[in-house]
Amino acid sequence: MHLHKFEKVWLIFGTGSLLLFLLVIGVGAFYKGTHPSSHLETIDLKNIESHEAFQPDNLGVTQVKEDQYIVNFVASAFNYDFGVDDNGKPLKKIRIPKGSTVLFQATTKDVIHGYQVAGTNVNMMLEPGYISRYETVMDETGEFTIVCNEYCGLGHHQMFASVEVYE
Amino acid sequence: MENAEKQKSEERVETPNLKGTLLSVLLLGVFIIVSWFGVFALFLSR
Repeated sequence: MHLHKFEKVWLIFGTGSLLLFLLVIGVGAFYKGTHPSSHLETIDLKNIESHEAFQPDNLGVTQVKEDQYIVNFVASAFNYDFGVDDNGKPLKKIRIPKGSTVLFQATTKDVIHGYQVAGTNVNMMLEPGYISRYETVMDETGEFTIVCNEYCGLGHHQMFASVEVYE
Repeated sequence: MENAEKQKSEERVETPNLKGTLLSVLLLGVFIIVSWFGVFALFLSR
């Protein structure tokens, strides 16, 4: 088959970039361990509290090590349940010291919800019957808004909270 | 021999001019690569 010289150029260029992109994705997936936030771990939708992480006492921010935190929460229309604060009021703003590794663990009670910490890479889908996890290092101070980015019903726009990363 | 040469020169004449095509393909390719790395850099920096 005869190929024009220029055709060879763009075929090599296209194949080369495809290989490059695949290589980057491969390194991310197999070497760095990147995976979808909902990693196929299931939970009984009717009995979320059967899972230790989602019992009322375990919701919210838990310090595991000096610079390691776990944030457990349950999403439902139209709320993120991070447990209660010291005064017994629902927690709407979680606080994390700068530079800590934070593991967000979540599930939903009803429909699909989103969980995005705007301005960071934390962005996951919360699906009924599945547990979603995302681990990140919070190394920028400031207040970040948490929003639901999957339309979940009439109150969707009221579904938000915030994370404060402090020095 | 003569025939083969004649055929060869005819083929050369028929070769389409793909300069513009090459340029547009490369421009598109560079655009895709630059935007891909832009998004990737954003992902890494956050």
